[in-house]
Amino acid sequence: MSLADYSASREARLGGIGLLGLLVLGAAAVVWFDVPVERIVTVGFVNRALLAASPIALAAIGGLYAEKSGVFNIGLEGFMIFGAITAAVALYGLGGTDPTQIHLWAAVLLAVVFSVLLTLAYAVLLIRFEADQIVAGLAVWFMGLGFAPFAASLVWGTVRSPGLTRVNYYSLPYLVEIPVVGPILFQQSPFVVVTAVVVVAAWVVLYRTRYGYWIQAAGDNPEALDTAGVNVNRVRYATVVFSGVMAGLGGAVLLAHAGNFIGTGDTMVDGRGWIAIVAYLFGNYNPLGAAAAALLFGGLDMLQVQFQTADIAVSGRLMGLAPYVGVIVVLTVWGKTRMPASVGEPYESEE
Amino acid sequence: MSDAPDSGRVRAALDRAADRMLDASVYERIGIAVGSTGLALAIGLVIVALAGYDPIRFATQLVVGSFGSERAFARTLQFTTLFVLAGVAVAIAFRAGVFNIGVQGQLIFGGIACVLSIVWLAPYLPEGRIGGVSLIVVGLLASAVAGGLYAALPGALKAYYGANEIITTIMLNFIAIGVVGWAVDGPLRPDDARSVRTEYLPDNVGFPQLLFDYPSFSLVGLGLALVVVAVISVLMTRTRFGYDMVTSGYQLRAATYSGVDAERMIVATMTLSGMVAGLVGAVFAIMVQGYFIDPTGLGTYGFDAIAVSLLAANNPIGVVPAALLFGALDSASSHVQIHSEVPVQLIDGIVGLVVLFVAAPELFRMIAERTGLGGGER
Amino acid sequence: MTRTDGNGEGTGAETRGDRPVVRLEGITKTFGEVVANEDVDFTLREGEIHALLGENGSGKTTLMSVLYGLYDQDEGSIVVDSEPRRFDSPQDAMAAGIGMIHQHFQLVAPMTVLQNVVLGTEPTRRGLVDEAAARERIESLCSRYGFDVDRHLDTPVEELDLGTRQRVEIVKSLYRGAEILVFDEPTAVLTPQEVDALIGLLDDLREAGRSIVFISHKLDEVLAAADRITVLRDGRAIGTVRASETSEGELARMMVGREVLFDRLSRETQPGEPVLEVEGLRVDGDRGLERVSDVSFGVREREILGIAGVQGNGQTELVEALTGLRPVGAGTIRFRGEEITETGRRTRIEAGIAYVPEDRQTDGLVQRYDLVRNALLGNQTVAPYSVDGWLDWSRVSAHAEEVVREFDVQTSGTGAEAASLSGGNQQKFIVGREIGHDPELMIAAHPTRGVDIGSIEFIHNRLIELRDEGLGVVVVSSKLDEIRKLSDRIAVMYDGAFIETVDPESVTEEELGLLMAGHDLGDGPTESDPAEAEP
Repeated sequence: MSLADYSASREARLGGIGLLGLLVLGAAAVVWFDVPVERIVTVGFVNRALLAASPIALAAIGGLYAEKSGVFNIGLEGFMIFGAITAAVALYGLGGTDPTQIHLWAAVLLAVVFSVLLTLAYAVLLIRFEADQIVAGLAVWFMGLGFAPFAASLVWGTVRSPGLTRVNYYSLPYLVEIPVVGPILFQQSPFVVVTAVVVVAAWVVLYRTRYGYWIQAAGDNPEALDTAGVNVNRVRYATVVFSGVMAGLGGAVLLAHAGNFIGTGDTMVDGRGWIAIVAYLFGNYNPLGAAAAALLFGGLDMLQVQFQTADIAVSGRLMGLAPYVGVIVVLTVWGKTRMPASVGEPYESEE
Repeated sequence: MSDAPDSGRVRAALDRAADRMLDASVYERIGIAVGSTGLALAIGLVIVALAGYDPIRFATQLVVGSFGSERAFARTLQFTTLFVLAGVAVAIAFRAGVFNIGVQGQLIFGGIACVLSIVWLAPYLPEGRIGGVSLIVVGLLASAVAGGLYAALPGALKAYYGANEIITTIMLNFIAIGVVGWAVDGPLRPDDARSVRTEYLPDNVGFPQLLFDYPSFSLVGLGLALVVVAVISVLMTRTRFGYDMVTSGYQLRAATYSGVDAERMIVATMTLSGMVAGLVGAVFAIMVQGYFIDPTGLGTYGFDAIAVSLLAANNPIGVVPAALLFGALDSASSHVQIHSEVPVQLIDGIVGLVVLFVAAPELFRMIAERTGLGGGER
Repeated sequence: MTRTDGNGEGTGAETRGDRPVVRLEGITKTFGEVVANEDVDFTLREGEIHALLGENGSGKTTLMSVLYGLYDQDEGSIVVDSEPRRFDSPQDAMAAGIGMIHQHFQLVAPMTVLQNVVLGTEPTRRGLVDEAAARERIESLCSRYGFDVDRHLDTPVEELDLGTRQRVEIVKSLYRGAEILVFDEPTAVLTPQEVDALIGLLDDLREAGRSIVFISHKLDEVLAAADRITVLRDGRAIGTVRASETSEGELARMMVGREVLFDRLSRETQPGEPVLEVEGLRVDGDRGLERVSDVSFGVREREILGIAGVQGNGQTELVEALTGLRPVGAGTIRFRGEEITETGRRTRIEAGIAYVPEDRQTDGLVQRYDLVRNALLGNQTVAPYSVDGWLDWSRVSAHAEEVVREFDVQTSGTGAEAASLSGGNQQKFIVGREIGHDPELMIAAHPTRGVDIGSIEFIHNRLIELRDEGLGVVVVSSKLDEIRKLSDRIAVMYDGAFIETVDPESVTEEELGLLMAGHDLGDGPTESDPAEAEP
């Protein structure tokens, strides 16, 4: 048995034990506290979890692509904030306090365009000027925390926007009537569908197209990619811009679900960009895994609402920490083996 | 030259990293620091103008708000004190080649440990000066221990389990904010408290006012911070431990060759860094607040400290002027908030820009080369 | 033995195809001050396996990197298929049908074998990678050359053993249409069984008409695999010989040099008490393979033990285990009678074990420290430089001054960065510094590699002086002349074991060469038990 075999089976074993442990703990908690499961896992809960998960999943997909290609985009949180404020300002600019759905979609589109410009500059700084990825990423967060409420103050005189509009859910007649599945699949926010499409497409591109091969190689052995005749930095430019755009879209989707911008404290994004990083680490850099983790975290977030309605006293704040604790455990158990080998290292070709 | 291409490349990468982080000449470092700040401020002023305000007036308010009055200056020094300590905490780790992004979390645990130890011990100690001083000493020790332990954890996870300290320390920041935030809103919140906070510190716990008549600043606090700078500076340059630590940051294999236990050094470095970070929380509690609050409202000293340390090229003495700059910016925002129509969050954005530019010294090297300024050094 | 001329074209050819596919003429390549290749001629004929043999640093890889487009030569020309060529990048070289299998594989560990093979040249269908087409092509390649790689096409590379990974690299080159394959130290990471398999595979490739360059420093493998062998030493081509007409002894001497630069100094002192005693030592290498197998020996006061051997036979791991840098798998190490097997590096320094490391650039000196700060490296806990954790920089500075003066280190002053010194001066500084803490045992690994002649002489004399002052000294080297000059006893290390311990007075260079290639001398002038060798 080779070393690699050994570590692979060890990982599988540990993962299995971890999952089993979680299940046992969960079951024990249900029995011990006499939790009314049927009042917690409801259709409404699943829908809320999907809504909460989609911005996280989008940003996670972006961050995953960047890191797969060797660039740690730690600025996801910042780019989400920029996405949310751009969408809000654009929405207000287009339709005032009473915008239509067309305005909303146009605003989301504008947020995406703005994200492209922003991340292009960021990518140049990271790749061309070999900026420190950690510090530059934190800087984007700080800038988001400053400039977004600043812009809100300029536009609305306060860091909160007035109520604008939310995205309308689509609803397919008759199909909605199907119990359980109907209200989840056929009466839903279109952005949940967009997210699902992005997730699946990201998986296909990463594992089934040549560009996906290049992204994986750029992060793990850029030299191998270079000798194979592919420009490593061009691949990285593409993924960094993609990651910023996905985070910006995530922020815009967050706004479209909320209907107004909030710039107090850590803004309305409130750590979702960081959770997105956690999500793709949890998902082991696999888009489907990252989306599943995002759903888990979205569900965890919404569980608080369920607990309140079921009169269970658990601090939502402490429960919200579960992803962070989880990621430390995952990193400790798996170590650094899963991270692409060349993350954080600028690549300079021989010539 | 069988191994030439590979070891050559590794060495080139090492050299690059060393150049960037540590070995840029002092002038170049100062140039980059001034350039980053200048460029960020210039962009900020352009934004002010674009938003329809008077940039000159805003610039004046920045100066007035940080140095224009005794009160403003005292406020600047208040923030500077916190930035000095936090910056030194970051610098310790960075110098040793360990990336402690978790100073924010460590200072939160340091602060709450300080407040709790003082509040719990106060009934057993005499009132008055002697009791107050002993409580302060206890509080400072408790904060250093708490901060140190909270940093030792990611250090040990990195050293013995290979867990990337950048990610674990960021996660531990959120955990600290969440846990302490929950605690001060729950078990630690007195029944009569209208806001989210802990018990007040006893009246005899506080730094005496010297020279400045400003409740949130005392020269004693600044003095304490400068003593820490001196201690860490001496530690780095004059002791075996410091030599081991800095050598590990420069060239880990040479450090190992010289007998340094790499794993233990990581844990030791993180612990020391976290101890200083813990002191930030203690000084915040004792000098500024008088109790502890929900950490979301604390200010991002631990994060800004990364920029402070980088501006100072991770040199503890250089941290002092860099901290003064950040202190002045924070102080000016208190002034701007009240006296200017320009939304105060702009200053946070400008700080973000400073951090961004500090992260990319290559940018300024290129500018310097293009414009013929100081390009000859390279 | 039949020595042929520089290109080995002198003797009658029996291999099919005399046509040269690659001709390198007068290649010179320098890196700053270092001359890596000097006026090297090299010819690869169609359908042959041509070995490039030489010590580490002899310029083998540099020469092939020039051919592969990784480096630009300073002088000389490259002719491929009778056309003068200039390759600016590996892609150019690949387009001309040259593939290189690097020592460090150019593989993406988490990706599958199939993905790795097609990387950069993926066949696509409707936007997706056409895995079926790729699979078909790889399978046909594999069946043509008898590779088993197609069994693992969907396995991530990281789950394969190193031998299989190497075959993936070969398939990758073949997939890109390589006619000429350059193998850079292909056996360095392989187990003996994998080496045998690789040699068989090279034969198959040759049978299929491919031309192969095989870079190595291992004599037996070169003899087993190659048709012709070109030996490089110090960047120059020493000669090209037919494998069938040479011997390991001759190759060893060509590799390490036959000029005897230094006369052996006869010893005037008698060894004293044992300083270092090693029993049944086993040490694992970085990849978990055993690199030192059951080694036992002793070193006494006033004695130099030379450990001879071709690079990569476990000397590095042995020295790291002795100095406390690498854990010991089994066995014991005793220093002055006390067991130190489990003690850390720092304890061993303090106890009096000095160490001149193999890699002075990454281990021995902090390149960006000045000489004063470097003078403290390793002496951090040694008085008077350090007392109770406090450093006395004036003492350290005085020590640095003294080393510079006494060891004739050419530098602008002790304020100069270590990186600014030449290799020889860096090495003299390290030797001087290591003596500074009054050691009782000196372990010097390749003390004169890459060092100028004057410094070599100086360092040699110092080591002998140390011996005469009563220290035990261990010198690890692959230079025969150095080993013979310095040693009071010579232990020859091969494949992790001490195969013989011989008396330098009576052993011949031929015998040493044979020993280094792993051969027993039979009833030669050997001593059976190295630990009790001395009278």
